[in-house]
Formats: sequence, structure tokens, C-alpha cells
Amino acid sequence: MTATAPANEAPVPMEDRASAVTARLRRRSAAARRARYSTIKIWVGAICAGVVVVPVALARVLPLPDPIVGKLTESSVPPLSPGHLLGTDPNGRDLLSRVLHGGQTSLIIGLLAIVVSGVVGIVAGAAAGYFGGWVDMVVSRLLEAQLSLPLLLMLLLVVGLFGPSIIVITAVIAFAQWPEPARITRALVLVEREKPYVAASRVLGLNRASIIARHVIPNILQQVLVVVLLLLAQAVLLESALSFLGAGVQRPYPTWGGIISDGRELFVLGKWWLVTVPGIVIALLVVGVNLLGDGLRDRTRRSKVAS
Amino acid sequence: MLTYILKRIAQTIFTAFLATASVFVLLRLAPGDPAASYAPPNPTAAQLAAIRRQFGLDQPIPVQFWTFLTRLLHGDVGTSFFFKRPALQVVMERLPYTITLAVAAILVTALVAIPLGVWMARNANTAPELGANVGTIAGQSMPDFWIGFVLLIVFAVNLGWFAPAGFDSMASIVLPTVTIAILQIALISRLVRREMVANLNAPYLTVARSRGVSERRLIWSHAFGNSAIPVVTALGTRFAAMLNGVVIVEVVFKWPGVGELVVNALQQRDFPLIQATVLVTVVLALLVQLAVDLLYPLMDPRVRLGEASA
Repeated sequence: MTATAPANEAPVPMEDRASAVTARLRRRSAAARRARYSTIKIWVGAICAGVVVVPVALARVLPLPDPIVGKLTESSVPPLSPGHLLGTDPNGRDLLSRVLHGGQTSLIIGLLAIVVSGVVGIVAGAAAGYFGGWVDMVVSRLLEAQLSLPLLLMLLLVVGLFGPSIIVITAVIAFAQWPEPARITRALVLVEREKPYVAASRVLGLNRASIIARHVIPNILQQVLVVVLLLLAQAVLLESALSFLGAGVQRPYPTWGGIISDGRELFVLGKWWLVTVPGIVIALLVVGVNLLGDGLRDRTRRSKVAS
Repeated sequence: MLTYILKRIAQTIFTAFLATASVFVLLRLAPGDPAASYAPPNPTAAQLAAIRRQFGLDQPIPVQFWTFLTRLLHGDVGTSFFFKRPALQVVMERLPYTITLAVAAILVTALVAIPLGVWMARNANTAPELGANVGTIAGQSMPDFWIGFVLLIVFAVNLGWFAPAGFDSMASIVLPTVTIAILQIALISRLVRREMVANLNAPYLTVARSRGVSERRLIWSHAFGNSAIPVVTALGTRFAAMLNGVVIVEVVFKWPGVGELVVNALQQRDFPLIQATVLVTVVLALLVQLAVDLLYPLMDPRVRLGEASA
């Protein structure tokens, strides 16, 4: 009986076995693995985003058919046909050309929107975090109020009111997005303002604006910019959603959401590519940006822990 | 506790007022003549003027708003221009559809996202978890209307398992629910993972393990119990946001809920109907938030409402 006892014993879990690999080494290896994974995420993300962004940026240079005027003789050609890699729509317009040209509009709106929301969010968040008091109260209440409003509906209303120009759509998306960088900045500044270097610059007689702008913000900028980069993904999605609901840049100018919206009555007739292709392009770009941002965030978090 | 609830109800009323007022002002500033949508085809100028007088649209905006508020206190949000019935009644007819969809979506989300997030936390930084991690990133990267269309193409058009649009039977709820849940599962499971990783590495868990607490109890009762508040908060916020109208998904699937209603109302400039929808959904969403906050003391006895949170 006693001889068989060891065999019946439950196997000792890896963690509890005595060995030369100490807990410290294991932690290191986990950290190393985490670092490896964040590098993988950054690279895969950059490649996914690049595959979309580079051709979109070169859309006007590449030899593409006109995205607005099509040949009616080549109506609804399926993908992989000669001359039309991604096929054409019922008006005979080349889908690849429309997707790339539409991407320019979508990307410009997205980039402008995150610049605006990033600047507004950082300024408001830094002011709230540094000054506290009534400034903080006003900013925090605004953030809360915006959260409880039906956002998409408000955005649709505003676009309906001022017309679907690029400036209005950009402003609307920026308005939807400023809370995120504002909240992060406020939280980071709250921690930062208690650090000795802030007290030192105060003792040196710097005014508050230059303490915030030249000393506090540069120290937190890296972490905030990752959040702003992630907002680009949200901006592209929001722009396509607005276009889909008819509150985007108007026809005949293509946008990603608009192309999908135009194709939605047609997939029943078997013309699936008009809906699926632009969606895949959006998803590829957004996955890329999200992976890149996620990887960068893992990395900034790690360097913060290490310091 | 009672003062806390009263304070929160006052806040709810204030926010609802804010939302109603901003929508009211935006609507009045918007171009397009609402009288035209109520009038018969090719109306004369006299007919339009009569309609404007009937609905008080010829009054200055502050006067219109005052009239609106006094009527609101009597439970009257106005008559829908398009349906020519009390707007509140129209919204209430559509509301059950949106609530059903939101409840189904949040249930599916919780049932999938919580186990998935816990699994991801337990296997953090392993190759399979990296796969799941990338999967959740992909899940929150696809436009929801596009997911809806792809599901329609595959399951409704090609396989013919579901009706392509509208509400025929209980089976119609499957595709819209899945469409909403994909994004929500991606978001919530990542939150669960983050919270659980923090708790799984906490010293109290090592202590509990050394006392011989079973692994199942360690994970679900100790670690997850301490992760519950942020997770329930997020689920509540998401649910409240869905009540504000899962606009896009309802439009894609022609689901007869308030989201679809309000998009049509916007196009028809049906002011009373837009007002009624915003009012009802905002109040409902705020009540859900309040209910979630009242759950906190049940999940964590250390929480005393109205003290630390104030």
C-alpha cells in the first residue's frame, strides 16, 4: 500500500515544486513575455494600419479610375474582374478607387477630430486636475452631463442643423470624444502636481500656466497621447456610423460608411462586395490602430512601473 | 441613505431637464419646416400658417419652451406630427421592443464576457490568451452596422435561418442581439480581465490559498467578488446606453424600437416625437444608473452610499 502511495498522490503543481527557478526569475520571464507580446501587438497593429493608410494616402497618385463618375457598361462587376480588383457598384464606379478616396475623407475627419478633442481634453483635464476647486467642479460636471445624454442622437441633430460639411462632422466627433483625454489627463495631473519638482518650480517663481504647460504636461503627455491615438479608431467608427445614418459627407463623394449604406439594399440581390469590402477596410484600420495603441499602452505602463 | 436617494433623484430630474432643454433648443434652431410634415401634400401658405398657430410654432422660442414645460408637468409631451397621436403613447408602444433587445444583449454579454474575462486573467500572458486578447480587440474594431449586414448576408440571405428584417417571431431577436453583444463582450471581457489580474496577484489571495480555500472559491468568491463593482457598473452603464437607443442596430434590422422611431422622427422633423423619445429614454437610463449605484452596498459592505462617494 505504501509503495503505491506516491503514484496516487496528486501531481505537485508547477508553482510549488522546488527548483532552481526562483519566483523572481519566473516574474522576470513573465515580464519578458509581456514585453514580447506588446512588441508583437505594436508590429501587427502598425502593419494592419499601414496596409490601409498608405494606399489611402496615395489614392490620388495611384492609377485608379474616377471614384465619382463610372462607366455604366461595367455596372456591378464582381471582385477580381480584370481592371476592377474589388469590383464595381451599380453605377459602374470602381470600388477600390471609391474605398481609397473615401478613406481620405474618413481619415482627414478622424485625424482633425482627435487633434481638436486631444487639445481640448488635455487643456480642460490639466486645468481641472491642477487648479481643483470650481474649475474641477465645472469640468467634472460637464463630463458627467455628457455621459448621460443620448450622444448619437445629439450628433445627428447637430449635423442636421448645420449641414453635413467636413468641419461640422469633425466638430461633432471631437465633441463626442473630448471626455476621454480630459478624464485621463485630470487623473494623471492630480498625481503629478504633488511631486517635488512642481513645488520646486513654484518656489522658483514660475507662474502656474508655465508650470502646467512646460513641466506637468510633458511628463504625462506620453500616456495621454496613447489614449488620443486610440480615439482615432473610435473617430473612424463614429464617422462611418454617421455616414451610414445619412448624416455624413454627402453623395456623390464616397466615404466608408456611405459606401456601406449605399450597398445595404443590394446585398439581398447577391452584390455582397459593396457592403463587405469597405467594412473589412474599416475593421483592418481600426484593429491596427487599437493593437498599436494597446501595445504602446502596455509599454508605457511597464516603463512607469520600472522607474 | 434616504437623503442620498433623494439627492440622486433630484440629479436625475436636473439631467433630464438639461437633455430636454438642449434638444428643444437644437430642434427649434434646425432648418426645415415641421409644419410641412403635418400638412397635406402641396399645402397653401394659409394652411401652413394655421398649422403653425395650432402647434404654437409661431411663438418665440422661450414662450414655446415655457408652454412645453407646463404641459410636461401634466404628462403631455405633445402630439406627434407624423402619427397624429400623443407622442408619449407612440414611444411607449415602441419601448418594449428596445427594452427586450437591451435585456437580451446585456444577458448574453454578461454570460459570455465574465467567464471569458476570468479565463483571460487566469491565463494572462500566455499564447492562447494573446489570441483571445487580439480577438476582443477585433470585436471592438468592427462597425456595428457592418457586423449586422454581414450576419444578415450569411444567416438571413444565404442560409435563410432568420427573417431578414423586422420583428416576426422571437427568433428575430437573435441577430440583433448577437450584433450588439459582439462589441459589448469585447469591452466587458477586457475590463473583467484587468480587474481580475489585479485581484489574482493580491496578497489576500495568497493568504486565502494558504488556508486551503478551494481554487473555485478563490476565483469566484474572493477575486471575482472584489472585481464585481467595476464590472457591474460597466454592465449597468452599457445597459443604460442601450436604452438610449441601439439606434444603428435597430435601423439595420428594421427593429421596431425607439432608436428606429427616433431616426425616422428626425427625418420627418417630428418635434414632439423626438422630445418624447429623448425624455423617456434619458429618464429610463438615469434610473438604471441609480439602481446600479444602490446595488453597491450589497456587493461591498464597506460602501456607505452618500459618504465616500459624495
